[in-house]
Amino acid sequence: MLLNTKLVIGFAAITVAGFSLFKPFSNEKYFDLDTKNTATLKTQSPGKEIYLDFCIQCHGANGKGDSKNFPPLDGSDWLKNKRKESIAAVKFGQNGEIIVNKIKYNNAMPAMGLSNQEVADVMNYIMTSWSNKQTKIVTENEVAAIKK
Amino acid sequence: MRKIVVVSLSAVAFLFYSCNAQVKPNDIIIKDDVKNYKLEVVASDIAIPWGMAWLPDGSMLVTEKSGVLYHIKNGAKTKIKNVPTVYARGQGGLLDIVLHPDYAKNGWIYITYSSDEGEGTGGNTKLIRAKLLDGSLTKIESLYKATPNTTKGQHFGSKIVFDNDGYLYFSVGERGEEFVNPQNIKRDGGKIYRLNDNGSIPKDNPFVGQVGVKEAIYTYGNRNAQGMAKNPVTGDIWAHEHGPKGGDEINIIKKGANYGWPVVTFGVNYDGSQITAKTEKPGIENPIYYWLPSIAPSGMTFVTGDKYPDWKGHLLVGSLKFQYLELIKLNGNKVVGRQKIATDVGRLRDVKQGPDGFIYMGVEGKGIIKIIPN
Repeated sequence: MLLNTKLVIGFAAITVAGFSLFKPFSNEKYFDLDTKNTATLKTQSPGKEIYLDFCIQCHGANGKGDSKNFPPLDGSDWLKNKRKESIAAVKFGQNGEIIVNKIKYNNAMPAMGLSNQEVADVMNYIMTSWSNKQTKIVTENEVAAIKK
Repeated sequence: MRKIVVVSLSAVAFLFYSCNAQVKPNDIIIKDDVKNYKLEVVASDIAIPWGMAWLPDGSMLVTEKSGVLYHIKNGAKTKIKNVPTVYARGQGGLLDIVLHPDYAKNGWIYITYSSDEGEGTGGNTKLIRAKLLDGSLTKIESLYKATPNTTKGQHFGSKIVFDNDGYLYFSVGERGEEFVNPQNIKRDGGKIYRLNDNGSIPKDNPFVGQVGVKEAIYTYGNRNAQGMAKNPVTGDIWAHEHGPKGGDEINIIKKGANYGWPVVTFGVNYDGSQITAKTEKPGIENPIYYWLPSIAPSGMTFVTGDKYPDWKGHLLVGSLKFQYLELIKLNGNKVVGRQKIATDVGRLRDVKQGPDGFIYMGVEGKGIIKIIPN
């Protein structure tokens, strides 16, 4: 626990230092842009970047969905208990009725066209974000083994 | 003591939620559905019916996003052959389809889709034209391919519309690069383009002759336009575009105009953080209407026929997010009223008035739905 805390503080320190040294995303070309936002958008894990590109529009920044058309990912019993189905949903899309945290959802999520590595990355991001604490990492091979 | 804590906690929670909700000041309140019509499914089981067009015999061509082009006659679907392979990633796929205004004479069909053609990994929006012969696309001509290719999943556009002078307009979204593309006319993306019907660039396009620019650009600063229609009264091209979280807009397309993304917007980032404090700025066109929160507008058509007396002369816009059709009542170029139609119909991808004067909706997971007035 103590080690973890130290790691987090250390990482945060490095990140902050990195920003002040490089000012990595300047936008001189354009007027009036808030550079702060570009920076927060760009410094992501690959899984988070995929989440921001492909998932956030429906499932939200907080992973809570909308309790009507888009199921939550944060605290989702479906995600927790149906690992294979969850990977398959990201890989091939998801159709038809599912029940997540006792609420019925019956919508279609199209296949996103992600590579197996990208599916693994975004699954690992989702499964360790917000209140989710999955410890078994999804690997590219595990995704490759999931068939339609 | 405990009571006080609970009360103040709920006050804090209330404040939090009310600040979080996006509310447009002095908005025109949307009226409830009056349901003076019936819905009839004219073609079923289409996953994402993205665009639709009618052939002279009244049969339909419908694009399905994953890359299938359907010919639909009397409810029966046939797959058209020789459709180009789409770069199926994120919001990309087989997109819009429109017939040349003089189709009966020349047979040209215009299609937009995401393509991995050209250098670099990924894809970008492409416009082609082709002819339909014996259930197959033939004589395919490439008219425009946006660059560069990118693996980003967002914002391909791409609706197509012709104006009264025979110019073709199509949209390309900013491809998930809002700080790179929309305000730079030397780059594709975040634009509405204007071409001649053969793909050549009209000599009077606004940026023709400037060094290094994409001369096909007609307007810029457009985030992701997925609805375009010709105003039957003025002949102007109208477009709507998705905002980020909030700030979807309806714009009248003007030569060389900047629609402001991401310099000005009524929306915020998906995580609620600010993109810009500005909602307007000199030199940037204001929308004629904006939505807060977002409805995720998709497809648009003006109602011109006599089938729906209350809707005639007004605008219809589909909502992907709230899953209804929105009637936008107009007085000239001003939005004066809003009403729900087809409440909870499903994710509404496209809406068009058919040649028979009826309104047709493309609804995800369902297919093509016709609105029949009582």
